[in-house]
Amino acid sequence: MKKKPVTHKTIFRHICENLDQDMNSPACREIRRHVNGCPECIDYLNSLKTTVALYRRYPAPALSDSARKRLRTALRSTL
Amino acid sequence: MRSSRKESDLLERAKQGDERAFTALVREYEDMVYNFSFKVCRDRNDAAETLQDTFVNVYRKLGQFDGTSKFSTWLYSIVANNCLMKRRRQKLEKASVSIDEPKMPGRGEHDADLHEMSLLAPWQKSPLDETMTKELRTLLDAAIQKLPVDHRLVFILRDLEGQSAEETAKIMKLSVPAVKSRLRRARVFLREQLNGYMTS
Repeated sequence: MKKKPVTHKTIFRHICENLDQDMNSPACREIRRHVNGCPECIDYLNSLKTTVALYRRYPAPALSDSARKRLRTALRSTL
Repeated sequence: MRSSRKESDLLERAKQGDERAFTALVREYEDMVYNFSFKVCRDRNDAAETLQDTFVNVYRKLGQFDGTSKFSTWLYSIVANNCLMKRRRQKLEKASVSIDEPKMPGRGEHDADLHEMSLLAPWQKSPLDETMTKELRTLLDAAIQKLPVDHRLVFILRDLEGQSAEETAKIMKLSVPAVKSRLRRARVFLREQLNGYMTS
């Protein structure tokens, strides 16, 4: 059977699904081979990683004392 | 304390109506719940409201927690459910000025060919090395709020909270392939939303 060529679409799908995983399966090894020689794919992979990293870096505010007090009050009326 | 014997003791006592044990559980998890809620709602007041709703629900449903999953997984599922319910209520309130869900990559015409989405321009900026500007924070907030809430929850649980695909599936009551599919779409969608800023 003729092997289907790996397209960018396939690459992107696999990259997205495996962004945080080892790519050791035969399919992923082939994809990695393509990615390693394809500047567009490397850029794309890096931009996906940057997207996730930016959200991880986004500073979440601390729970304020007033919100903590409101929670205690709400729970007191429930308990 | 999490997953420890002390936590199991507290849970047992709280189930039997011990208010001090329940309060200790609240203290242990309130920051985690608020943090997660904020990541979903992107609004302090909504996050505080979700925090209250969550612990009121936890108190009412504690008897249903059977310990087969981690307590934190059970908590995440209650927060996620509160967020989904809140979103449904908001949609009903806005019914007269209904706005369509944003088109997600992988749906409709976006599915035709990701390669033709003008996504391939390399990102010029490297904001990971810089202090996060207000402009970038606003952009990140706007982008994630455009995601349908189920996709948003999956993205946050997997990529920001570090939950496994299996735990996320349990929390969201989805199959693992459905979690993977939502995560893929969410990442691509968010990347596309940031593309203009990052390539300019």
